[in-house]
Amino acid sequence: MKHGAGGKWYMNARNYSYELADEYNMQAYLEEQWKNMETLFIRKIMGFSSIGLGYKMQMPLVGRFLRWAAERQIHSEKPGRNPVRADGHFGQVIPLEDAQHIIGNLAAEPIIKNYCVCRWMQRGVKDAVCINFGCLSQIIPKLTRYIPVDQKWQLDREEAIAALEEQNKRGYVASVWFQPVPYINAICSCESPECGGLRLRNDFGLRTVYKGEYVVTADRDKCQGCKSCVRMCQFGALRYLPSIKKVIVNHDKCFGCGVCRHACNHDALTLVPRESVPGQAGKF
Amino acid sequence: MDKTKIKIDYKKCGPNAKMDPRECRKCMNVCDPAVFLMHPTLEEHKDPYNPERWLVTPVWPCMCTGCMRCAEVCPEQAITVKAQQSLYQIRAP
Repeated sequence: MKHGAGGKWYMNARNYSYELADEYNMQAYLEEQWKNMETLFIRKIMGFSSIGLGYKMQMPLVGRFLRWAAERQIHSEKPGRNPVRADGHFGQVIPLEDAQHIIGNLAAEPIIKNYCVCRWMQRGVKDAVCINFGCLSQIIPKLTRYIPVDQKWQLDREEAIAALEEQNKRGYVASVWFQPVPYINAICSCESPECGGLRLRNDFGLRTVYKGEYVVTADRDKCQGCKSCVRMCQFGALRYLPSIKKVIVNHDKCFGCGVCRHACNHDALTLVPRESVPGQAGKF
Repeated sequence: MDKTKIKIDYKKCGPNAKMDPRECRKCMNVCDPAVFLMHPTLEEHKDPYNPERWLVTPVWPCMCTGCMRCAEVCPEQAITVKAQQSLYQIRAP
């Protein structure tokens, strides 16, 4: 996998191209993956399904084997990947600015907005927040249950950029997805715990979603202790301390999504590159 | 470790029952840790793009906190929960 500008893999224009999609025969792969998306967790892989995965991974030897097998499957770049298991399907949290840059400059048309699969299958809610593009956006319309009713779902770049901003401000975390690596064709607006990727990462420690290239820092002088940012965080990284009347950030928990910034009226929260924060460099 | 066991009676809720999980979805909506997964059955479907037969599976029982709201809200009384140790109890976040 080649990284793009600034060492970010999602800044590499080739990862979005139809050329790459054709080279890997992504059309057929994605069609098979999306036909079976909701059954991903209940299918048996090498004799194990994901049902009760948390308990299975607590078992002494079996647990370690499962973790190894799952990680290998999630990050597989080998030929002969299985679309039904969504091999090579992982993502990374990105701040709104990067998401908008991708939609504005890198994403291949057509761009569509569809109902979030995770939220439908885990919360029973239809929420049109997933921005898909490239050859994936020609496949999803065949699955009519994910096409929004009574609202525009075929978007131009400006509309998609505006949609991302609105969703980010509502508190959803923008994330960019390989399906499969190295082809990028989706920017999700995720919510924990329904998101399949965030569930595996946050609750089971599997690296389905990488942390972002940034972390948020709170300025002690600017923070007025209004606590409004705390409710925005999907990762429990922000906490209000009554003793000092300020908000503190747990950098180890912060995914660098930047959603908390929308709630701050005092300009106290800023995203800084992960590499520049002591203890956080290289920790994704 | 004692595992939480959640059972759904598919005679009361499922593709052959009078309640289609896609119409109801109450258990999923009420579950804070999102333990349930609604999915098409694994059989071959007439239209594989738009499958017609769906099930609810309690796929992450280790996240269940034993609040019993799913059992209370189910209009068919199809859900039984025997809550034991959740992963949150083993390692608090």
